[in-house]
Amino acid sequence: MPGATVLSAEGLSKRFGDRVAVSDVSFEVAAGEILGFLGPNGAGKTTTIRMLVGLARPDSGRIRIFGSDLSGHFVEAMKHVGSIVESPDLYRYLSGRENLLHFSRMLPDGAATRIEELARLVNLEGRLDDKVSSYSLGMRQRLGIAQALLGNPDLLILDEPANGLDPAGIREIRQLIRSLAHERGLAVFVSSHLLAEVEQMCDRVAIIHRGRTLAAGSVQDLLERSTAGRTRFIVDSPEAAREVLARQGVTEVSVEGRDAVTARVSREAAPAAIAALVAAGVALFAVERPSSTLEEVFLEVTGGETV
Amino acid sequence: MKFLPLVENEVLKLLKQRRFRVVFLILVALIGLIVFARVKGRERFFSGQDWHVRVQERVAGMQNALRSGRMPESAARWTKFELARLQYHLDRDIDPDAVSGPLFVRLFANASSYLLLPLLALVFASDIVSSEFSQGTVKLLLTRPVTRARVLASKLVALLLAVTVMVFVGGAVAYGFGGLAFGFAGWGAPVLTGFHSSGGTVDISAVRAVPLWEDTILVFGLAWYACLAVGAIAFLASVLLRSTAAAMGTMFAALIAGTILPRVASTWEAQKYLFVTNLPLPDYYSGSPPPIPGITLAFSVAMLTLWALAALAVAFGVFVRRDVLA
Repeated sequence: MPGATVLSAEGLSKRFGDRVAVSDVSFEVAAGEILGFLGPNGAGKTTTIRMLVGLARPDSGRIRIFGSDLSGHFVEAMKHVGSIVESPDLYRYLSGRENLLHFSRMLPDGAATRIEELARLVNLEGRLDDKVSSYSLGMRQRLGIAQALLGNPDLLILDEPANGLDPAGIREIRQLIRSLAHERGLAVFVSSHLLAEVEQMCDRVAIIHRGRTLAAGSVQDLLERSTAGRTRFIVDSPEAAREVLARQGVTEVSVEGRDAVTARVSREAAPAAIAALVAAGVALFAVERPSSTLEEVFLEVTGGETV
Repeated sequence: MKFLPLVENEVLKLLKQRRFRVVFLILVALIGLIVFARVKGRERFFSGQDWHVRVQERVAGMQNALRSGRMPESAARWTKFELARLQYHLDRDIDPDAVSGPLFVRLFANASSYLLLPLLALVFASDIVSSEFSQGTVKLLLTRPVTRARVLASKLVALLLAVTVMVFVGGAVAYGFGGLAFGFAGWGAPVLTGFHSSGGTVDISAVRAVPLWEDTILVFGLAWYACLAVGAIAFLASVLLRSTAAAMGTMFAALIAGTILPRVASTWEAQKYLFVTNLPLPDYYSGSPPPIPGITLAFSVAMLTLWALAALAVAFGVFVRRDVLA
């Protein structure tokens, strides 16, 4: 149940010299919802995140967290935010506990009392007094998440939280993030280059490519939009089928192997196309509509660039 | 947000890093070595000799050298100064070479103020900001509900504390080793102070004797001040360069250039405005002829203060504004 808007970004732009890193990016994240920020490496995800947490200043545009403008009311705004930017870099010569104590001293009183509870939450209670230099990447990622939650934030900004985790760890983190958003009502902004991850974890997705947001919407909406996707006809004679379909005005018809034709056929146009094939005497064995994935949406909007 | 917990953080991080212990090991090892060398040197040169004879021989040698007229002008100035000092001690029957534990502390402060202590100070200072960048932890440090200026201020306070402790420990270790080797007593011994060298002559009209402890505190205070100034400038290097190695290299080069410049180019007067030229505050206090005309204790203290304040202003200005992309 999305609630009030927690984070809003309007028209963010950032350039480094001649290179435009981020251009006119806007989005909102509401309480209780997870927004996935999806894009290939170098698309501008990390630059956007750096602007969201005040590490970099946007050239134009504004960021508001609970209505506080980030550039004007940094301290007020950051009280609500927990974040991991890029990799979970912590002090390697300190123990996990010392790291958490260190960051709790930079937060309002009471943060230190949450350390035990958070260590349990991220499954680190047994290793909390070991030096971080002895941690695996997955453990550091989990300590990073504990660190982000120390201040009891209303907004969680996570950059590639699944990095370095094994499949079991990824599932755990996904469940944790979903429960934080859906049960505790946190607003979560997650960047990722992993489509499957975003598809399984997020409520809404914004796709960023070459510094611009190309598509945004709920995962459901985006999937449906792309089901104007390709349909596959298994036939005895692909050449004949191709001609029939072309005459029907169907576009992007192509022969696939010796027994299939694929074409872009909308849901509404499908019955007519099938009827025409049957009427023309083409033996039709099967009609398939591969269920579309976020990956296809992504390929569509980015023009075929892989993630 | 309270400021003290931030300072606590920075102090803890300093203490936990290996470099902190290394600096103190270096102090102990170096001072031990100096004491050892001094003890050995005295055994060889001064055993069983009356100090009056020894000092008079030295005076005679210097007078001869001066009369020969072949001495370069700067060396002649020095020699005249040393002659006046020795003569003064002879007149009052004080052995100018007698070393006690306390006197060793005073000598150590004097000798370490322009290179050793500043070098150790910049080991802390050049790392304190840049290490956060190289570790990537700066991203966590600057995304808290704390302004960047406060974060940097807490680091500055921790640095000043570390430098202060280092100078203190240096003095304590020097007293410990010096005391063991030369005896712990002698804080009340008179020290001559107030020599002024100007225009090639040594003015001894203002010379007076003060107890050694008073003189030592003053000299340590000056060495400490020089270290703080070096710390502030290295702090700026750490902010600007964001790399410990680069900051440390730059500062080492500057300090070493500062010890070379006055010797190879003493006629270039503008160097008195460089911070490195002004570091040997205890020398300027004790009345040694300045390497460059126009340098006095007050001038040097003022220059160091200006440099330090300017460095801090730039460091804060840059740190607060600059994007963190590392």
